Amino acid sequence: MSTTQQTVGAAARAADVWKVYGAGEAQVIALRGVSVSLEQGKYTAIMGPSGSGKSTLMAILGCLDKPTNGTYALDGERVEGLSGRELAAIRNDKIGFVFQQYNLLPKASVVRNVELPMLYAGVSRKERRQRAQELLERVGIPEKAKVLPAALSGGQRQRVAIARALTNRPALLLADEPTGALDQKTGHEVLELFVDLHRQGNTIIIVTHDLSIAAMAQRQVEIMDGLIKLSEAA
Amino acid sequence: MFNGAFRERVRNSWVEMRENLTRSTLQSLGVILGVASVLGGFSISDSMRQRSMELYVKMGGLDKLNVRQSAVVKEGAPSALQMANLGLRTLDAQEGEDIDSSSVDGISLRKDAQARVRSPYADQERDIRGIGGNFLALDGYEIDQGRDFTMHDIDTAAPVVILGTEAVAAFFPSGDALGRTLRIGDTPVQVVGILKERVFRFRDGQHNIFRWRNRIIAIPTTLVARRFEGDQYHRVDRVTFRIRKLDAMAKFSKALSGMLKANHRQQEDFRLDDVGARVRKQQSQGDVYDIIFLLSGFLSLIGGGIVNVNIQMATLKERIREVGVKMAIGAPGTEVFKEFMTEALLLTGVGSIVGLIIGIGFSKIITASIGVPLHIDAKSFVSAYGLAVVFGFVFALFPAWKASRLSPMEALRYE
Repeated sequence: MSTTQQTVGAAARAADVWKVYGAGEAQVIALRGVSVSLEQGKYTAIMGPSGSGKSTLMAILGCLDKPTNGTYALDGERVEGLSGRELAAIRNDKIGFVFQQYNLLPKASVVRNVELPMLYAGVSRKERRQRAQELLERVGIPEKAKVLPAALSGGQRQRVAIARALTNRPALLLADEPTGALDQKTGHEVLELFVDLHRQGNTIIIVTHDLSIAAMAQRQVEIMDGLIKLSEAA
Repeated sequence: MFNGAFRERVRNSWVEMRENLTRSTLQSLGVILGVASVLGGFSISDSMRQRSMELYVKMGGLDKLNVRQSAVVKEGAPSALQMANLGLRTLDAQEGEDIDSSSVDGISLRKDAQARVRSPYADQERDIRGIGGNFLALDGYEIDQGRDFTMHDIDTAAPVVILGTEAVAAFFPSGDALGRTLRIGDTPVQVVGILKERVFRFRDGQHNIFRWRNRIIAIPTTLVARRFEGDQYHRVDRVTFRIRKLDAMAKFSKALSGMLKANHRQQEDFRLDDVGARVRKQQSQGDVYDIIFLLSGFLSLIGGGIVNVNIQMATLKERIREVGVKMAIGAPGTEVFKEFMTEALLLTGVGSIVGLIIGIGFSKIITASIGVPLHIDAKSFVSAYGLAVVFGFVFALFPAWKASRLSPMEALRYE
């Protein structure tokens, strides 16, 4: 029961997490004992230059990868021992991803893209459609439901991706450089959407190397050479 | 399948297929050719088999058991018992029917002779066929003009004759044979019936293999017995039983054999011939062609399958990122596996249908060129299609498995 107690109040808690890729000469140590606790409802920015290990940390926080060593608990549940299938279920249920390159499926309409996580979760067709429509309204593009992603602007695409990330009411919304491919104005609009979502109670983690973006978060975590260098609350 | 995931997979596969039409066409080419060659091959043997079936129907059906005389003395001088044996008789036919009268649908008797046949127009040495029972029906003859022999004709050995078309042409070239008189040996007989001409060509342009059947000059068996080569025992050359029920045949044939042996002083001077069984045995020899066709289809499906795996593996590279995205938002490996399998199977399914259509066209050309009407069994469609689906499934497994085993992290980062 100690693990449950450990994680009370935290949406996610990583303790002494190591991540090692490859072996021998080619071995790369991406994380060297990272411990971080992300509280429920907080807006956190993870910063660091490229190669610092922030993408790896993000992958572990997002259950895309398992730590080589150390523990990680999400929403009270330890993930180290889980199978690929169980991890997929956790990603589906508890995590919403927003990527720099949007990563929408180009051949599916906007509404189908948003529905996809619900499809994997086994939600009925009717409910999927309804919820996807609601989410598109929430991100401000309800009229784009039937079009293909290629017909949208970058900002609109990122809104679709955010809607998709929100479908299963995730415990953690993970955004990896969400404005990296946008111009300043649209980037700013997207960031405001994140602030809005945070206000509505979502736990948000944004990975960025831009200080001004990180400044919008409640807390900044800086990572360098696979270690947390600075962790401060605003 | 139940919340629409299956539908969604099929829909997405369809979109994927349509968007990459060239690639999909190339991928399904192997399937198309394989199915076409299996179906084409099968349809040729189906058509030939169908033609044979038509032939047997025209011969009066296959559901017959023939009993013929057979030499019992193999070597040396016959024993007294053998000498005293009476052979196949009308009585055998009657007792045969009594064994299982519910299964026996018809009996025919045959007793042949040779005689000089004369009309005002011709004078020829001819085979004379003495017929009894339902001979015409069991041998596939039909009356064109006049009538069949009546019971009375046969009982009284009436001097009447039924002619085939060739016999009519030979003896009454002007055509009006009915009611005229013909002399067979020294016996004047009246023409009471004329048979329909019988024609069967295996292929267009081939000779009529039933031509000799039109030469028939038929008189009652009893008349043959009385005026040509009869005796008091009513011996006959052939007795035929029609047994409609296939499962009754074996039992009947066994009982008949026992009865005949008892009647014939424990000597097997007769020979039973189950026509259906004989023909089925002959047909099974034709199955080797089916195997050859199947094999050639197999080879093209294997070739097509290997090409398919290659293309699929190449396209997987383009789609790694897409797989990564799906995994990131919660698709388990099994879902990715199912998506790839659905795509491959849809491709196979559509390819097979095209293959079937091409196969039909292909068969039409071949059967037309050998002059046999096209016939394809439902079974051939099913096996050609089934084979393709099985191959499609097997060859789809590897790429789908590969895709399902991708690490989500690496897949997402793949450029």
